[in-house]
Amino acid sequence: MANNDGAPISVDVAGVDHDESALSPEQMLKLVDDQQSVMVRQQLSPIPWMLGVWGIAWLIGFGLLWAAAQSGSSWISVPLVPASVAFAVLIGGAIVISTILGIRISTGVQGNSTFAGTVYGLSWLVASTGFSTVGAGLIQNGLSPELASLYFPAVFGIMAGMIYFLGAALWQEKSQLVLGSILLVAGAISPFFGAPTNNVVMALVGGGSMLIAAIVFALHLRRMA
Amino acid sequence: MDELDPVIHASARLRITAALATLAAGDRLAFPRLQQLLEMTPGNLSTHLRKLEDAGYVEVTKAHQGRSPVTYLNLTARGRSAFEVYTASLKKLLG
Repeated sequence: MANNDGAPISVDVAGVDHDESALSPEQMLKLVDDQQSVMVRQQLSPIPWMLGVWGIAWLIGFGLLWAAAQSGSSWISVPLVPASVAFAVLIGGAIVISTILGIRISTGVQGNSTFAGTVYGLSWLVASTGFSTVGAGLIQNGLSPELASLYFPAVFGIMAGMIYFLGAALWQEKSQLVLGSILLVAGAISPFFGAPTNNVVMALVGGGSMLIAAIVFALHLRRMA
Repeated sequence: MDELDPVIHASARLRITAALATLAAGDRLAFPRLQQLLEMTPGNLSTHLRKLEDAGYVEVTKAHQGRSPVTYLNLTARGRSAFEVYTASLKKLLG
């Protein structure tokens, strides 16, 4: 359909329902863009929440572990047992919430990505079980509590970083590579700070960057609207 | 490029096609979820889906989730390429 005569473009095609065909090409193209951005935003909308929940769990959880290890010498004093329980509850809560959000993303979708999503979800469970088992084995063979308190946060950070790398590959999302790299570095360097400062590294570098990522992602989604 | 594809050149069917085109290859979307995303009535959505299915653009898969039947939808390779040709034609029309 050539339109070089300068007249307003109107498209009329035989066989089109008349109630449906009244829109101009501009409007039709806008309809496509709007519909596709609704789809993408719906898909991505839980992600800032997931990142936020994890960021808070790390920030407060590792913060509490650090505070508990201050042994009364500082302005903040938290008994070790409640701090450890709170840490477990925060991490467990983050796992539950992000699993529920993950299921919500894939509601009504069936096919190849169902498998990919399930494997991704399982990778958290499998990796954390693996690393914990190694830790338990090391403790049984004489790893001191001091060294264990360096080991667990470090492997936790490395595990989370590697799984964000996996997510980046799966959804072709470069932003997850950035976050994954930060978590990997935080985990890897944390033992060099010694206990309990290693927990501060995890809380601020790990938790802090996840919270920043949550805000950046939320703003990005808002700009798409 | 002479004419716009009459199957897709109708706002309801264009929206359905555009929505399904965002799915990854090999994925299907459940009817109720599509209906919710498009904010269309079930009857209206069914009518347009039938036209898309008749044209060979949409594949309809009936599955069972427990005891309740669920209908899943996806664009066929033909539907996806028709959508790409259509949007390219619109862009060309607009210069």
